[in-house]
Amino acid sequence: MRESTIMKIHYGTALAAVALVAVHILMRLTMGYAESLEYENVLANYKFVPYAIMLELILVLLAVHGFNGLRVILLELKQGRLYEKAVSYGCLVAMIGLIAYGSRTIIMTNMGMV
Amino acid sequence: MPNDEHREGIGGMINPRRYGIERVAYLLMRLSGLGLLAYFIGHIYETSNILRGQVGWDDFMELISGTEGHIVMSIVIAMCVFHTVNGVRVMLGHGGVGVGKPARPDYPYDPASQNYRHKIGIYSAIVLAAVAMMYGLAVMFGE
Repeated sequence: MRESTIMKIHYGTALAAVALVAVHILMRLTMGYAESLEYENVLANYKFVPYAIMLELILVLLAVHGFNGLRVILLELKQGRLYEKAVSYGCLVAMIGLIAYGSRTIIMTNMGMV
Repeated sequence: MPNDEHREGIGGMINPRRYGIERVAYLLMRLSGLGLLAYFIGHIYETSNILRGQVGWDDFMELISGTEGHIVMSIVIAMCVFHTVNGVRVMLGHGGVGVGKPARPDYPYDPASQNYRHKIGIYSAIVLAAVAMMYGLAVMFGE
């Protein structure tokens, strides 16, 4: 994929994540901060399907943005055909791993497998 | 002499003494990005504790709800706000907003893009990050 396209994805995921993370944080302020983190309230959040979908979107957006950012930093430090391939594929694998692990929590909690 | 010996590597990348506030913003953007990625990975692991049931969740909450946990969270808030505001500035700059008009390069060759508009953006990002950090501390320690 062209770097210009990757940067457009980087900026797009950033803007979308800012909006969704703002909602995610505001949910912590709908009641007391500590109260919002109590087990029953967190469980209720996960079981509310629109909120679970929003969490999944945040997970994907931030994982793509975060690991692409890490890739950019590592490519600024050092260049080389093999190194660049290793960094790019390494970040891609880490991103997929994190999305899979986070999705597991969201899906299992939403489906009541706790 | 191989070209590699001329490179400054990480030392050159993180040196904040050259190029003014823009270099500081460059450094803070990368540090806050790495910090936020580390927090994000930790947050994904932390929230997976809900699968251990109420006991597992409460144990973990106890671990992160102390003074140290609140201080770490306030630093995360500051990094998040700085990264967001400075990121918007960078995006606007890449889109050609606020970088000045093309002109003949005359001595002392001040870069048109490093102008007061972007400097205000960088200082605003730092101030907003500090304010958000204070607000976060007030909310967390106010409980």
